[in-house]
Amino acid sequence: MSAPADTHPAALAHAPSKFHFYIQIAMILAVITGVEVVLIYLPLPKSLVIGTLVTLSAVKFMFVIFYFMHLRWDKVFCTILFFIGLILAGFTMFALLHLFGADASKPLTSAALLSATTALGLA
Amino acid sequence: MSSHAATGQIDHHHDHTTSTGIPNKKLLWWAFLASDCMFFGALISTHLVYRLNPPPGNAIPTQVFNIELTSFSTFILLMSSLLMALAVNAIQKGNVKSTRLMLLGTMFFGCIFLGGQVFEFGHFVHEKHMTLSNSIFGSTFYTLTGTHGTHVAIGVLLLGMMYVRTFKPAGGGGFLLNFVHLAAVSVVAGVAFIYVVPGLIEVIYGLNIGVLLSRAALPLGLGAVAAVAMIILGRSRGELEFGEKNAIDVETIGLYWHFVDIVWIIIFTAVYLLEYL
Repeated sequence: MSAPADTHPAALAHAPSKFHFYIQIAMILAVITGVEVVLIYLPLPKSLVIGTLVTLSAVKFMFVIFYFMHLRWDKVFCTILFFIGLILAGFTMFALLHLFGADASKPLTSAALLSATTALGLA
Repeated sequence: MSSHAATGQIDHHHDHTTSTGIPNKKLLWWAFLASDCMFFGALISTHLVYRLNPPPGNAIPTQVFNIELTSFSTFILLMSSLLMALAVNAIQKGNVKSTRLMLLGTMFFGCIFLGGQVFEFGHFVHEKHMTLSNSIFGSTFYTLTGTHGTHVAIGVLLLGMMYVRTFKPAGGGGFLLNFVHLAAVSVVAGVAFIYVVPGLIEVIYGLNIGVLLSRAALPLGLGAVAAVAMIILGRSRGELEFGEKNAIDVETIGLYWHFVDIVWIIIFTAVYLLEYL
């Protein structure tokens, strides 16, 4: 399970420790989470709260993938590869939400369901 | 090859033996995580589809959820991500002892998260009467969060395997010892998130601790024995075949763990927080 040792001139000078940097990132993430939880209880317009929650989640997402997952320091191809999957997932979600949001796809209410099954002779 | 202080000879971000410059293991994991995005995307979409157009007789989420516990679980998972990043940072400096500590810390926090999920699911089923099959909301909710929880559990197992891997002796062998060590780690983790953490949450909510101890006496006893075995097997065993050169392995497990965390960031917002608007 060992990786080949790879010597590179740029790596010979040992990189400064990211220990405190990671702690700072974690504190930022914790604060953002706290803000999100408080936000849902504030008497603000729904669209503003949804927009803010989505933005804050995206910020947390980016912090984790670029700093904790090292995309910031790795080859850009890793970022491209991951974002291909992410974008495909995003489009899939968009398509599903719109397909199942169409009027013909919406579940019937109890009264409508009873009426439909009666009309079809299934009740 | 012995474990020793880092010499700065290894470039942890580039591999010049591959055509992409990216270590093959890392490339594989990123490709896997990209595919897992689509997997969770489909599950989250399904949940949202049925939340936006709920069928009649659906469960009401705000009457079921316990947002305080879920917020705490989210914080715990974020901190576990921090410890995982610190574990990778430690092994990139060749500090095996610190790596082990951070890996154990990540597992510990992961078990707290899983224990919160176990408690939550039990509470939803027994107190709120929301099961996998009696409502659409229950079906989509348990499928989504249960799949995420399974990912976390697999992550805890992988972390346990990496933790045991850090003890591999330089002279080779030790397979049986490693197997027993891994078994001990798995038993401790299992007892922690199935009995200890949900039990402690119940105690916080008013259960008598004596009742908890009597109800879960056997698994707690088993967990205690496994914990002692873990401590005994976790002592230094001389020269090791694990060091800075293995940083790529810790990093790839870290990628999986951080992915599980970012999926939870999305689930927490889309499934829990948005219900309270």
